[in-house]
Amino acid sequence: MKSIMILAEEVANEATVVNEFEQTLLRIFILIIMFGLGAGLTPKDFGLALRRPWGLIIGWVTQFGIMPLTAFILVTFVLFQFDPPPGVAFIALGALIMGSVPAGTTSNLFTYFSKGNLALSVTMTVNSTLWAFVMTPLVLVFYSRLVGLDESLDIPIGELVTVIFGLIVPVGLGMLVRRLSSNAGSVLELIGGVFGLLFIPFLIAIWVPRNWQLLLTTQWPTYVVAIGLGAVGMTVAYWAAKAIRLHPMNVRTISLETGIQNGPLAIAVIVAVYIDNPGLDQILLIPALYSLFIVLLSTLVTLWFRRANVAAEQKIPNLL
Amino acid sequence: MTPNPWTKHYPSEVSPELAKVPFAQLPELLKAAVDLYAKTTAFTQVMPNGMNGSLTYAQIDSHSDNFAAYLREVVGLKQGERVAVQMPNCLAYPIVAFGVFKAGLVLVNTNPLYTAPEMIHQFSDSGAVTLIVSDMFADRLPEVLPKTKIKTVVTVKISEFFPPIIRGVIRIVQRYWSRTLPKIQVPHTWFQDALSQGKKARNDSVADSYLKGVTKDSVAALQYTGGTTGVSKGAMLSHGNLVTNTLQMIAHCGTGMRPGKEIVLTALPMYHIFAFTVNLLGFFHIGARNIIVPSPRPPSNLQRAFDNYKITWLSGVNTLFNALLNERWFQDAPPKHLRASAAGGMALQASVSERWRELTGTPIVEGYGLTESSPVLTFNPLTGLAKDGSIGIPVPSTEVKCVDEKGKEVKIGEPGEIVARGPQIMLGYWQRPEETKGALKDGWLYTGDIAQMDADGYFTIVDRKKDMILVSGFNVYPNEVEEQIAAVPGVLEVGVIGIPDEKSGEKVQAYVVAAAPAPTAEQIIAHCRENLAAYKIPHGILFVDELPKSPIGKILRRELRAGAIGSGSKAGSTKKGA
Repeated sequence: MKSIMILAEEVANEATVVNEFEQTLLRIFILIIMFGLGAGLTPKDFGLALRRPWGLIIGWVTQFGIMPLTAFILVTFVLFQFDPPPGVAFIALGALIMGSVPAGTTSNLFTYFSKGNLALSVTMTVNSTLWAFVMTPLVLVFYSRLVGLDESLDIPIGELVTVIFGLIVPVGLGMLVRRLSSNAGSVLELIGGVFGLLFIPFLIAIWVPRNWQLLLTTQWPTYVVAIGLGAVGMTVAYWAAKAIRLHPMNVRTISLETGIQNGPLAIAVIVAVYIDNPGLDQILLIPALYSLFIVLLSTLVTLWFRRANVAAEQKIPNLL
Repeated sequence: MTPNPWTKHYPSEVSPELAKVPFAQLPELLKAAVDLYAKTTAFTQVMPNGMNGSLTYAQIDSHSDNFAAYLREVVGLKQGERVAVQMPNCLAYPIVAFGVFKAGLVLVNTNPLYTAPEMIHQFSDSGAVTLIVSDMFADRLPEVLPKTKIKTVVTVKISEFFPPIIRGVIRIVQRYWSRTLPKIQVPHTWFQDALSQGKKARNDSVADSYLKGVTKDSVAALQYTGGTTGVSKGAMLSHGNLVTNTLQMIAHCGTGMRPGKEIVLTALPMYHIFAFTVNLLGFFHIGARNIIVPSPRPPSNLQRAFDNYKITWLSGVNTLFNALLNERWFQDAPPKHLRASAAGGMALQASVSERWRELTGTPIVEGYGLTESSPVLTFNPLTGLAKDGSIGIPVPSTEVKCVDEKGKEVKIGEPGEIVARGPQIMLGYWQRPEETKGALKDGWLYTGDIAQMDADGYFTIVDRKKDMILVSGFNVYPNEVEEQIAAVPGVLEVGVIGIPDEKSGEKVQAYVVAAAPAPTAEQIIAHCRENLAAYKIPHGILFVDELPKSPIGKILRRELRAGAIGSGSKAGSTKKGA
């Protein structure tokens, strides 16, 4: 393990660490996205969710059950098996974080496009986001011990909880705004959605060119893990939801909701917690790759889902 | 004349005869409300995500004055000319409709979802010279306008009168996201420009003359309807028709409609006669706040309206109530402030009304009417005896009876065609004397609906005359079969029609939209066997994704029939047959 650490440090030193400007930008992004998520909610939504816990339970199980497990399996049986690259422990940590974070707001967008159950999607996103500051550290510590990372990479649980909690605060503020003004709330909700989408071009513009070399030298198992996480998550959740005979609309929703993780949140957490860690770029590798590929993957899945749906198009968009 | 049997069932505060109508025409009716409720919010438009804009009674009044001036002074229209209006529910709609009335012109409500040939038919038949149209639907104009007499086009945005930033956001979303703003390729004036031109040209001493000679017998609106023959024709509704029907409806509700206190959700389109008279005119007159929603489909579009406003009244059709009952958010948080709901437009299924009452704890009263009767003829009294499955008793100053083929009144309890007489019955069909003669005989409107009256004077619709299915000489009423199928768990919506059959002449065919898990065709037929005579049992059950519906959500059996006869068994897309 020690030799891996040394190699990792060398690689990390070559790559450029995320600079302060980018950190600030990232924070603004995540704040706006979370704010928008909250602005789409009313206290009533929570009441509704609590009254029908099955959606939440399924979401909770898929989110903190299937996804981290998928990450763990991919790390163990793919990443570690084939000629582990230097710094593999950092990459593995990134994968586990990616698997442990809550659902992303972009899942709501794709659910809308695939004509799924938007209300369920939003409820699941919010539920997993609120659970995150307990569950994310918990599953992360569990799986990282199982993989054997804890000795080489310290996971500062307290800090992790604080960071995630800090990211949830805007959700509450967003709700407050929605309560005060429905108009302001819905504008913020839209802006949040737009920023969730802009995150991908942001990543491509800022992170990809500077880490081009890193991407070129990245070996295929890393790509398999980054893409596989979303793909396996969606597939397993799809068949699980189908197996318990949910409505096809809800099956589509749960599938997308599970597979699509909150990429910006994962990256923000990593940058906040591991900013001084020499392996930062490797830790960020899978979350960044995941965020890039999940858009592609979700688009394909959405197109496939849409074919199964012939509901009439309406002139006045749901978005308004 | 013996007193009508229903008279005793009017709530104590309801008089069987309407007092003398104090308003000569619609603008007077409107003014009465504006005088009383000037600063009250009259309309709030709510988008599916909660974005909203509002106008007060005084604003509606002054904007519609400006619009009337625009039509008369700027466009140069003359009294009695027709103005076609084609838009979904939005804040501009009441201003346009009221402006047309104030200008002494005739309103021609037009369904925005019409295809070009349908638009051409309605515009040229009515002879409309001006069109007020939602910009979302302006793409058909280059094809339509040359074939009509329309010279002036005013375009309306869905976001009119919203706060500026919200307006901009909605515009951006429409343009770049949903791409629902076609390029407008004909000369047109934007609605706001029309209003400011009208404001400049407005001269209140001249404005009084717009209504000179307009009496209760002057045509206020040409309301198009398929009627029994299928060819769309304009029912001439006079100022008197609409004013009286509004007052009849309010009177019949008794204390159910509290002046200045109601918040009514207008989910049905106001260009349709039901929401036009009940919501736009009726609730406006009592100083209510109208929460208008551009499109109630999907039903989740109504969630924010229910979340953000204390809705006390809801008007709808069976399809809407049923859809809401099937929405999870609605089941979990039924509206707390709701006091009553009015159902019309189509038969309210017993399973729907029972579930509605159970879930919301408020009455849902079914009523009945036609475009030709402005539309309200009967409904169940809000207080007192309401009978499930019945369309209730006639509104004040209205006579209704069931007659046989010869026009003779049938015995109590026997089915016959409903005929009605009262101040709300239309003047006739626009430029169609033959059709008018068929519908209006000795002042009675022949509705084409079969009903029976019980000893209390309550009417129950059996079915549309033309929808009746004749199986080996037996009458099968689709409503009855639909009612049974709708009660099967997992059935969301159902439409029943007759299709030609060599052996029995016609056979019963059912189209079912099912939830997951779906019931099997065998289960549905088994349920029918338990509850219906053999000849009424559907011969086939077809599972479809969707049923064809009218703009207010009425299931269109006509289209089901056309689909069934035209191309085997195609209605929507068939998932599995039985």
